[in-house]
Amino acid sequence: MTMNDIIVKTITRIVLPFAQLYGVFVILNGHISPGGGFAGGAILGTTLILYTLVFGRKKGSKKFSHRASEIAESGGIMLFILIGLIGLMLGGSFLTNLDAGFPAGELGSILSGGMIPLLMIAIGIKVTSTMINLFNLLIDEGVHS
Amino acid sequence: MIVEHLPILNLILFMSMALVIPLLRRQPFKITLILGFIVLGLVSVSSIYLLYHVNQFDAIHYTLGGHDTRFGIELLVDPFSALFTTIIVLLASIIYVYSSGDRTEGIEPNEYGRYYVLLFVLLMSLFGVLYTNDLFNTYVFIEILSITTCALISIKRKREAYSSAFRYVMMNELGSLSYLFGVALLYMATGITNISLIGQALQTAYETYPFNVVIALTFMMIGLGIKAAIFPFHVWLPDAHSSAPSTSSSLLSAIVIKVYVLVLIKILFRVFNVEILLDLNMRTVLLVVAGIGMIMGSVFAIAQQDVKRMLGYSSVAQIGYILLGIGLLSWEGLRASFFHILSHGLMKTALFLSAGEIIYYKRTRRVNDFDGIGFIMPVAMSVFSIAALGMIGLPFTSGFISKLYLGTALLDGRQVVFLGVLIVSSLLNVMYYLPIIILAFLKNEKYQYRLTSIERAPSTMIGPLVLLGLLIVLLGVMPQPIMQLIDAAVHTLIP
Repeated sequence: MTMNDIIVKTITRIVLPFAQLYGVFVILNGHISPGGGFAGGAILGTTLILYTLVFGRKKGSKKFSHRASEIAESGGIMLFILIGLIGLMLGGSFLTNLDAGFPAGELGSILSGGMIPLLMIAIGIKVTSTMINLFNLLIDEGVHS
Repeated sequence: MIVEHLPILNLILFMSMALVIPLLRRQPFKITLILGFIVLGLVSVSSIYLLYHVNQFDAIHYTLGGHDTRFGIELLVDPFSALFTTIIVLLASIIYVYSSGDRTEGIEPNEYGRYYVLLFVLLMSLFGVLYTNDLFNTYVFIEILSITTCALISIKRKREAYSSAFRYVMMNELGSLSYLFGVALLYMATGITNISLIGQALQTAYETYPFNVVIALTFMMIGLGIKAAIFPFHVWLPDAHSSAPSTSSSLLSAIVIKVYVLVLIKILFRVFNVEILLDLNMRTVLLVVAGIGMIMGSVFAIAQQDVKRMLGYSSVAQIGYILLGIGLLSWEGLRASFFHILSHGLMKTALFLSAGEIIYYKRTRRVNDFDGIGFIMPVAMSVFSIAALGMIGLPFTSGFISKLYLGTALLDGRQVVFLGVLIVSSLLNVMYYLPIIILAFLKNEKYQYRLTSIERAPSTMIGPLVLLGLLIVLLGVMPQPIMQLIDAAVHTLIP
């Protein structure tokens, strides 16, 4: 299934980078503004879904293969757990933030809040790959039956 | 100290295992199985050590991120949660070994991995529900639990599996939401979600907002009642059992619905307390609901032709027994129902797994097709018989001990009517379990001369069954060591 409309294809090509940039922005600003890993990951995932819808499943999986999304899905949570374990290693409890020595940074800037930006990135990776994975799963289900 | 970190490490181990399985998809499946077994072994060891530690020394309070308990999430490992997590992980290990033997019947080969991912996420949420000391966090884990259970039920690609899973989702979502509504009402009245703190705050909150508190209790009880398949809300359970693989059924019946009962116990005795419950006349409500469940579950079970549906309805009756012990709101009652949670867990696992083996080889679920099976598959049918006799409550089985404790607790509470209900329900159990045993061992002479058994099941299927049969008898002969642990657990709920 591909769309052969030239308007849709061109507009998608133009819009995609900006949408993805916005997704990254939302993820990185999760700790100081509304949004965060889930919202940003959903935006990023939606752009990938849009690409697959317009250019077809084959081209879509070239951009972000099934194997890569599998690794990203597990890896996102693994990253989260590892960051949590750092707090445990440094003498606090699981997910200890500033007390374990994560730098507090300057209030209101991107590099602040200790490990929270890192956690947001981990969640963002997980949500992005889950979105595209679910979509691909639904498409493949329709093809088989 | 490292002991403090053990509960969170248990959760992390289960979660990491679930995450690693998809990455190992291209490797031979044996690696996944062995890795899973190592994880279960590690968690068993750490759970047993935690059980020893909290009984010997002090309960472990662990706050995630080092936040104050008022704001953060607190894990509480006390004799209660340590005991039941240990029971869960040991039962789950037995089921896991069995499932590696029968390759979880009816699942397509490329879905095995998915089955084990779900199994480990399920175990993580079970541990989380028991460890957590926070009402909202309990809700989160309950939600994970519902979703994974639903997926485990519908893992066979069959129409009936999907329809029963859909029914399960609908009922359980109602249950989750009404539990959440109860939590919200309690939060409105007290401003906290930590169970220990809410327990203290509720003494005054009950005076100022009695209406809120009563409605919250009702909603939470109904929500957890739906999930635990307590009688009027049990409709989803038999359907879910009949279409699921037998390992999923045994997980669901032996472990998952018990955990909801344990959450209910936590809420009744930790969040609320005996005085408030007595003031609201909850004793009568709980006892009547339990009594009706005990009778009706058995009555429905008698009418079933499908062996797994029959076992499902029997679970409804047995949840009634557990609720009867809770409903007495006394030390003895709670003790009896804790023992019954353990003994029913063992017996139901044994019943489902042995029935599963028979179904696997005979390809039939009809009770009437069981004739002469005692000669064809002696091990499976013997374990089935031991567990069935335990369900009836014959001496030298764990079922007898739990009925004994329940009976004495009822007498202590002067609830003679319900002692009668208990006896009637036991007689009804006889009516549907005994015919199967008679059919399998005594009837139909045409199999008797064929003494060679055709039991070709792998040892990974036979081993767990034999172990379960032995444990049922062992628990029936000497319940004392377990009773000490149970007494310690009850002391944390009713001082």
